[in-house]
Amino acid sequence: MTTVEIQGIAKSYQPGVPVLKPFDLTIEAGELFFLLGPSGCGKSTLLRILAGLVEPDSGVIRFNGEDITRLAPEKRRAAMVFQNYALWPHLSVFENVAFGLRTAGAGKETIRREVTAALEMVQLADCAARRIPSLSGGQQQRVALARALAVNPALLLLDEPLSNLDARLRDAMRHEIRRICKERHLTALYVTHDRQEALSMADRIAVMNGGILQQCGTPEQVYNHPCNRFVAGFLGDTNFISGEAAGNGKIRSPFGELNVPACDLPDGTTIAAAIRPERIRILPPDAAGMNRIPARLTGRTFLGESCEWQFEAAGGTVDVLEFAPPERRIGDEFLLELPPDGVVLLRG
Amino acid sequence: MRRIYQYGALLVVVLFLLVFLVLPVLTVIGAGLHWGLLAEVFRNYVYREGLCNSFAIALVTTALVFLISFPLALIYDRFDFPGKGASHLLVMLPMILPPFVGALGFQQILGHYGVVNTVLEHLGFAPVDFLGGRGRFWSVCLIEALHLYPICYLNLVTALGNLDPALEEAAENLGAGKWERFRRITLPLLKPGILAGGSLVLVWSFTELGTPLMFGYNRVTPVQIFNGITELETNPVPYALVVIMLFFSALLYLAAKCILGKSALNTTVKGIAGSAARKLSGWRRFLPTGFFFALTLFAALPHAALLLSSFSLRWYGTLLPEHFSLVHFENALSNKIVLPSIVNSLHYSLLAMIVAVAAGILVALAAVRWKLRGSFAADLLAMLPLAVPGIVVAFGYLGMSVKYAWASACFNPVENPLWLLAVAYAVRRLPYVVRSVSAGLEQTPEELENAARNFGAGSWRVLSRITMPLIAANLVVGALFAFSFSMLEVSDSLILAQKAEFYPITRAIYELSQILGSGPFTACAFGVWAMLFLAATLAAAGTLLGRKIGAVFKI
Repeated sequence: MTTVEIQGIAKSYQPGVPVLKPFDLTIEAGELFFLLGPSGCGKSTLLRILAGLVEPDSGVIRFNGEDITRLAPEKRRAAMVFQNYALWPHLSVFENVAFGLRTAGAGKETIRREVTAALEMVQLADCAARRIPSLSGGQQQRVALARALAVNPALLLLDEPLSNLDARLRDAMRHEIRRICKERHLTALYVTHDRQEALSMADRIAVMNGGILQQCGTPEQVYNHPCNRFVAGFLGDTNFISGEAAGNGKIRSPFGELNVPACDLPDGTTIAAAIRPERIRILPPDAAGMNRIPARLTGRTFLGESCEWQFEAAGGTVDVLEFAPPERRIGDEFLLELPPDGVVLLRG
Repeated sequence: MRRIYQYGALLVVVLFLLVFLVLPVLTVIGAGLHWGLLAEVFRNYVYREGLCNSFAIALVTTALVFLISFPLALIYDRFDFPGKGASHLLVMLPMILPPFVGALGFQQILGHYGVVNTVLEHLGFAPVDFLGGRGRFWSVCLIEALHLYPICYLNLVTALGNLDPALEEAAENLGAGKWERFRRITLPLLKPGILAGGSLVLVWSFTELGTPLMFGYNRVTPVQIFNGITELETNPVPYALVVIMLFFSALLYLAAKCILGKSALNTTVKGIAGSAARKLSGWRRFLPTGFFFALTLFAALPHAALLLSSFSLRWYGTLLPEHFSLVHFENALSNKIVLPSIVNSLHYSLLAMIVAVAAGILVALAAVRWKLRGSFAADLLAMLPLAVPGIVVAFGYLGMSVKYAWASACFNPVENPLWLLAVAYAVRRLPYVVRSVSAGLEQTPEELENAARNFGAGSWRVLSRITMPLIAANLVVGALFAFSFSMLEVSDSLILAQKAEFYPITRAIYELSQILGSGPFTACAFGVWAMLFLAATLAAAGTLLGRKIGAVFKI
């Protein structure tokens, strides 16, 4: 188990165009840590810096307190599952998985045992003799995972490993990867742009944008208490209501005065209130009360187990997500309740 | 630390090229670039005529090459026909023996008592002297064209294969007719392929020594240079001729490269190239097959004649030889210069192959993978032999062994040309090896090497376990080309192998053909041996790389 400390790591490929701005992060031993962000946010660059495949311009990386910033990639024991798997087509499945053990000088018997164990863990034990091109995408992904697991890495790096798989397989693999990491007490860093993947698998998530760390926390923290508009919007659909603080846990907004969680912002500060569509309740038009605004139903997107409704209110449009949705008629009037504990106040 | 080794390796290759490519060229220029000498060449009618003839041969040969290769390439790309795979291999047939050996066979067809004249006589016409006067000029052009057209064909097929059929379909969709489509869309897009093949053929035929020599065509510059070697001490004119030859070759090559450089921008658009090949129905589907086989058969005529000659006892004034026998094959193998020449050629060519492959791998790695500063210059240097005629380099070695004490001590061609010939062959074939290896590296994702480092493999292990196995096909093809073309090399062999005990195969064939009586027949038999040998290597290369083999002949 390895604790990974990242201090002040920065990188730019062209002068003046930073990919990563100075960056601090600590990944605890045995943690399944996620880097989440849109493409081009610098998350893959950070991963490759940890693997030693990219040299940072500045900063220090420590594994268990030991500085490895300038260590050659082959000496880091930071096994990586590459995005396109990077399996060697001229070697068999067995030889691919055995490669790391061979370079480490393991004995014949150890190699056979470890490779078999790694292949069993990804349920490919009977494919050991197959050639790489004869495997399906999902099988290749699992070979790449087995190859990384076989070397018992100090740090497991996963670069969007599920992005080339179809939806069903992706779901199954999420559970598998988390199970294996936990079973073997691995410290793992997982890069993805898929918020579902991050929320469902991670111990902690670092949300990145434009080469800057936006927020770091547990899935619940970053989802329920985003620190800014970007994090709120990237982790899920959000209704943003702009307004200004009115003191006493109230804000003035185009929808009228709304109750919100208490905050210490001075009166008149411009703020945005974010509320997730699933937190809003749809009520009949005659149930007037606090934080309830009249709105007309204008559209719907049926999703099976749930339905996304679009409402038109005096202050703007509001999206509402409802599970086990009843029949509703487009054009009908309703009241929407915005519960104060579902509202997050953001600056700007 | 790793960088230091990489730069060290690159430095070794660059030094090698400076000593064995740049220095000989500079030596020749130093000896030949005297205005008095150059003026004398241009004043002398004989040398002027030689230059004009060489130019004419180059132009006519190149034109003939396109006449042959363009229809072939178009048919191959546009139609599906029975025997398509075999025809692709068949087209390479003419490359498997040096044209100067083909010239031997050609004399049996077009000679005074040859097949064509026999037929003419039977029909009541007067015999035509194909091998003297103007006839000789056309014979040289034809036989060179028949040897060189595969280079253009391969380039064109590759270029056509890279064309997105949608580009032509778009033109068709906008109402362009067949001919207009070809003229305004296909042809401009093919320009890089045309220029790449064309410039190679142009320089190659401009400086070809073997074929005109075999036809006794002395009024061409390369032959004049060759004949001047013996009196080099008293008459330095060959040096001046070599300088002129070098100047014009470089000019031809650079001109092609400049035009190519400009058009390269327009042709980077590469969609997913599907096949536009059309299936023909009924008896018509055999038309392309027929055309292919007829042309290849025509191109293989010299080889067929060579084969027949090698089996014949008497072949004067008849359609086919009168008696067949294996005596020439026995003679060929029992002649005292033949067996040693095979051993010599194998020695030279194997060494050349090792040197060329080692240097080629380093240049390609430095340019494609390590992206070292200065690797561009090394790559350019390695491509230089395409623009510098072999005869110039060979001549440069001669000059060096005369001029520098260390050179005459290390590689005096009179004493033992083993290393000199091996190096000369290697330098000449280096461009093809570099192109082949570079293509392999470019097609192999770098991520596979990163993955190996990620799993604990050091530089050497990555190279030996991952990179080399992945580009094995390209390495094998590069090595095969280096080897087989070394076996067939003419200019270096004729100029640098001066003692009978050091003759390589090509020089031995030339010497045999000069023996009166049965000499030419024995030479033919020997040529057949060489031909079979090369057929095997090229077939192996063809199966390994398939269509990609065209990439080797790109500039």
